[in-house]
Amino acid sequence: MRKFKRKKLNRGAVVNENGSVTTDADCGRKQKLAIIHQALIRDPVDIEILRNSSASKGGLLTDEMRRKVWPKLLNINVYNLPHKPGRDVRENHKDYNQVVLDVRRSMKRFPKGMPAAERAVLQEQLIDIILEVLKRNPQLHYYQGYHDVAVTLLLVVGERMAIAMLDTLSNFHLRDFMDPTMDSTKHILNYLMPILQQVDEELHDFMIRAEVGTIFALSWLITWYGHVLSEFKHTLRLYDFFLASHPLMPIYLAATIVLHRAKEVKQTECDMAMVHHLLSHIPQDLPYEVLISQAQALFSQYPPPLLAKQAALQSRKSLSISTFQAFQLSTLHQRPDVVLQRLTRAQDSTTSRHGLEAALSRDRSQLWQRGNRMVKMAVWGLSATLGAAVFAVAQTAMDWGPDVFLQLF
Amino acid sequence: FHQFPLKHISLLYFFSENDSLELFSSLENDNKQARTFKIIVIGDSNVGKTCLTYRFCGGSFLKNPEATIGVDFRERTVQLDGERIKLQIWDTAGQERFRKSMVEHYYRSVHAVLFVYDMTSLLSFESIPEWISECSRHSVGPLVPQVLVGNKCDLRESCQVPTSAAQSLADSHNIPLFETSAKDPSEKEHIDAIFLTLAYRLKSNKTLRLKQPSESSLREMRDQQEQDATSCRC
Ligand SMILES: Nc1nc2c(ncn2[C@@H]2O[C@H](COP(=O)(O)OP(=O)(O)O)[C@@H](O)[C@H]2O)c(=O)[nH]1
Ligand SMILES: [Mg+2]
Repeated sequence: MRKFKRKKLNRGAVVNENGSVTTDADCGRKQKLAIIHQALIRDPVDIEILRNSSASKGGLLTDEMRRKVWPKLLNINVYNLPHKPGRDVRENHKDYNQVVLDVRRSMKRFPKGMPAAERAVLQEQLIDIILEVLKRNPQLHYYQGYHDVAVTLLLVVGERMAIAMLDTLSNFHLRDFMDPTMDSTKHILNYLMPILQQVDEELHDFMIRAEVGTIFALSWLITWYGHVLSEFKHTLRLYDFFLASHPLMPIYLAATIVLHRAKEVKQTECDMAMVHHLLSHIPQDLPYEVLISQAQALFSQYPPPLLAKQAALQSRKSLSISTFQAFQLSTLHQRPDVVLQRLTRAQDSTTSRHGLEAALSRDRSQLWQRGNRMVKMAVWGLSATLGAAVFAVAQTAMDWGPDVFLQLF
Repeated sequence: FHQFPLKHISLLYFFSENDSLELFSSLENDNKQARTFKIIVIGDSNVGKTCLTYRFCGGSFLKNPEATIGVDFRERTVQLDGERIKLQIWDTAGQERFRKSMVEHYYRSVHAVLFVYDMTSLLSFESIPEWISECSRHSVGPLVPQVLVGNKCDLRESCQVPTSAAQSLADSHNIPLFETSAKDPSEKEHIDAIFLTLAYRLKSNKTLRLKQPSESSLREMRDQQEQDATSCRC
């Protein structure tokens, strides 16, 4: 699996026009950031390098980089983001109550030191973005756990980009989970045991005998582990990986986690409750980087079509899997942000105001109107005490939406 | 002090005084010798299933519970009449889509069922008949002990479900009703009592082959308990 990883990275390094030859081993943090930056400004954007960087050691490294790369991984134009949802987004939605209940209970997903008032603002935004995406896609159905995905996006990229990302993810990677029933989700979970069988037959047989099923991995799969990891940085690392990977990758990672604990599992009483109990609680000190490269190795060694030959996996069709290739193709021809910005400006120059600016000022005035005193004070405080340079940085953050700006504090 | 249905008071004082003293946590030795009973907890989202099971198994009120995805599992070993009994509590997700295709796996071989509604939510109470009929659809037979629990009785001001209404629903299905609170510390022993009611029922089900639920079985159980009881709190 080392080999597999290195091969990919080397390919990335070859395209790097700095001429610097980097390998997995000497790819330091700075260098990696530089490589990603190069990939971002190429025209078209070098999506292959972005994917490899997201999966390879350390992932995208910083939230700032995530804000730049995540939209590219999903083919999103950051200069053409959806508007903030209006009040009507909350009206007449069948899932409204469930969404509110789940979001109100999602306190643990926010950074520990975050002031309650700030968290409350973000929780309201979280409700809005979920309902906005559901309204745009009446064929999609909310599931408990969807909010764990949404909150991860919101905390990194802010409200408007979170809507765009969630919309795309919901139609592709998460699509199977959003059917009216969870039969398709069960189908995806059914890939787990065949992977285990390939690697560790004894473990596989033990789990079959215990009749443990695969529900212990349900929350891992449908929240991309956001629901079960207590350290947000680990969640982010996995999101880098999954955003750049095949929709079945969370299952391959689940397999590596179970395999990682094989000894423990086999020593447990061979009983559904005991094994379920053991496996459903993820140890917090997992070696994520190792597991990620193992998951990639398993994926190339036992790709989904090979597993699908198993009888249990033949009967059903997965939308996430069947649309994945088309989705990946769609990401190949993206323009870099500078070009996108220019194009968007040019397009809008016929109208009275630039689209992005118009959208931003709408954002700002809305936030102002909500009377979020904390934000106002933060802005005044910044400009008064830290001077123009820092204020400019804050303004840049503002360009990503006020939510990102909020996170500066 | 809030009221709970008269019919069950005699069960309660017994459990809350006597058995809770004998309780001890699992994780101790020879689990293998303990009989295991599997109890599934169901009801709408947000009624307090997770907090109730946490209170029973962990002892404290769980602050900031998160939405349950799929099923969660907790357990506690209790000592009843000198016998160690392991109670496996399966806490389920409230959202319909989960139970339709996921939870069935867990209905299999359940020994007892705890239906929960939120006393401050009429809606959650109105779903109870649906939960009950779903349970029987999953071939949970009439011999499987069941209890109905109204949670959040600490929020008396915003109570939307009168005890009389709950009692008549419980009576019509012939299952005991309890009103309690996972939050109120003074209800801790009451919650123990609820789970122990089931444990006792299960224990005696096997040995006495009681037909339940019926008044006579309740009486029989009560008699049996009163033989053992050395003190009560009234
Ligand atoms: N006041 C009060 N709140 C409770 C009680 N039990 C649970 N809650 C709250 O009700 C909400 C839902 O609880 P939870 O256990 O997650 O419900 P579940 O969805 O049925 O598992 C949480 O905000 C809890 O803090 C209770 O007895 N009294
Ligand atoms: Mg719960």
